[in-house]
Amino acid sequence: MTEVLSEQMGSGSHAGALLEVDNLHVEFRTRAGVAKAVNGVTYSVDAGETLAVLGESGSGKSVTAQTIMGILDMPPGKIAGGEIRFRGVDLLKLPEDQRRKIRGEGISMVFQDALSALNPVFPVGWQIAEMFRMHRGTSRGEAKKKAIELMDRVRIPAAKERVNDFPHQFSGGMRQRIMIAMAIALDPEILIADEPTTALDVTVQAQIMGLLAELQRDSNMGLILITHDLGVVADVADKIAVMYGGRIVENAPVYDLYKNPAHPYSKGLLESIPRVDHKGHELYAIKGLPPNLLEMPTGCAFHPRCPYRRDNCVTDAPPLYTISGTRGSACHYWREVIDDGEH
Amino acid sequence: MGRYAIRRLLQLVPVVLGTTFIINYMVWQLPGDPFAGRCGQRPCPDAYVTAMREQFGLDQPLLVQYGNFLKNLVTGNLGVDFNSVSVASLLGDAWPITIRLALMAVIFEAVIGIGAGVLSGLKRGGFIDNVVTISTLFLLSLPIFVTGYLLQWLLGVQLGIITPTVTDEATVPELIVPALVLASLNMAFTARLTRTSIVENLRSDYVRTAVAKGLSNRRVVAIHLLRNSLIPVLTFLGTEVGSLMSGAIITEGIFNIHGIGGLLWRAILDQDYTVVVPVATLLVLVYLLANLLVDLLYGVLDPRIRYE
Repeated sequence: MTEVLSEQMGSGSHAGALLEVDNLHVEFRTRAGVAKAVNGVTYSVDAGETLAVLGESGSGKSVTAQTIMGILDMPPGKIAGGEIRFRGVDLLKLPEDQRRKIRGEGISMVFQDALSALNPVFPVGWQIAEMFRMHRGTSRGEAKKKAIELMDRVRIPAAKERVNDFPHQFSGGMRQRIMIAMAIALDPEILIADEPTTALDVTVQAQIMGLLAELQRDSNMGLILITHDLGVVADVADKIAVMYGGRIVENAPVYDLYKNPAHPYSKGLLESIPRVDHKGHELYAIKGLPPNLLEMPTGCAFHPRCPYRRDNCVTDAPPLYTISGTRGSACHYWREVIDDGEH
Repeated sequence: MGRYAIRRLLQLVPVVLGTTFIINYMVWQLPGDPFAGRCGQRPCPDAYVTAMREQFGLDQPLLVQYGNFLKNLVTGNLGVDFNSVSVASLLGDAWPITIRLALMAVIFEAVIGIGAGVLSGLKRGGFIDNVVTISTLFLLSLPIFVTGYLLQWLLGVQLGIITPTVTDEATVPELIVPALVLASLNMAFTARLTRTSIVENLRSDYVRTAVAKGLSNRRVVAIHLLRNSLIPVLTFLGTEVGSLMSGAIITEGIFNIHGIGGLLWRAILDQDYTVVVPVATLLVLVYLLANLLVDLLYGVLDPRIRYE
């Protein structure tokens, strides 16, 4: 029963998944030492599937995404091992000009802060049209028409009138829609959304998540949704990978994880969501601080903060135990965590 | 934008009035009588001095003199100098030469300065970056007249590559070295400013987006990075056109160029204020218009700046 999940995880992922991250290691060389940002992350996404990658700042979720896109700053970043297979081909071994063609066409990305991620000196329509002009050689006029169509598709009101406006002339939600329009312009097979709603109002957050889900359904994209907000993912995701200290500590179909987490960290995250029926009680918070990437705790990285800690947690790093075909937990005592039941 | 331009233009009026008044007032307040020493070894007869003072209106109160100056300026009548040569014709001879020199200097500043800055910014810590950092520091720490005399001596006198002084025609090839000298300080500063700006923007989110869009490296740098990085650089180049004009006085002196600088220099030595005042006024106008142009251009370069 407690086998180690060596390669793939999650439902519907076998040798042929569209995008597979396999035992990825990424380090940052800093003056203070080597920071191990990603330590053997393995996940996969198939067409039409949504994977939510959950974790706090510094858990390695964004670094993994940047490595997939090939936009990691190197140096100081360094890929220390692993593979990223897209349609079975290891991206990390591809020459730069071939990787470049996959960006935008095959795998695309939406960033957190659209105001700084869009170029301030070019009109938004121009920035969307650039995708067609540079990847497909479309003429300026034709590309602009397609940009307007895309702006319509992401429901920007009066797209035709606003196509020549600049990013700063839009509201936060509208700017994020433009980012999304740009990312889906060439019908990519995988869309990575790195905290797409973190900088937005709650009402706008829901709209943007709805838009992403709808676009994904329409074009059968694989969606990787990176977030630290459990509330955001519940409706949208098919499966969840929870990251801590550069590792995946739990992966599960979304319903299973919400109902019954199998890792103390996931459990802590769920319990720290404010709930109406707990009104008047103190809000739960995971004790302690995220691990220092320069000096990772021995054994399980979560042990200094873990209520289930035993002696062997300090010395033995837990492998990713298989709970069922589609679930895994990197906790020696996952049974106990599950048996504690619904939080 | 149009309203803003007009408002800015109107703001220039009091500035022009103030500066020209100060110029007029100061030059006539300088010690020494400009006419007393114009008769060779002998002192000039009182009758001559009085007649000249009357001819150039120096016997009238300052405000009347200033009024006359303004009237002449508006009608375009710049009068004659103390030798009865038309000031307009003096300016007509000298002005094109200085414009040529200054334009060449601006081109050197922009092409060499921006080029060096981009190359060193893109490969921070590399060989080119070190060369640029050291050579710009060298240029920045040398006063312009040292650079000028040094190049004149080295290239003109020792190596004979150029003629040490420039002929009356002041052709473009002759002006290359003087223009480089004139440009040297601003060129070095432009290179440093460009480098800083490139390094800063290289880490920005929109450059990362451009890479994530799958654009070629060349397009990311030449379109997305450069366009943003050049905003402060072009502003600097524009505002420094005025300082080029005053730098031209020194450079033109070193290389014996008969431009505005040379004209102004000789006129000051001769205390020929009928020349000093219009030339200084012209320099003020160039400086003000260059600044206005930069302010307007800034709104075009950076759409986040909105006038109204």
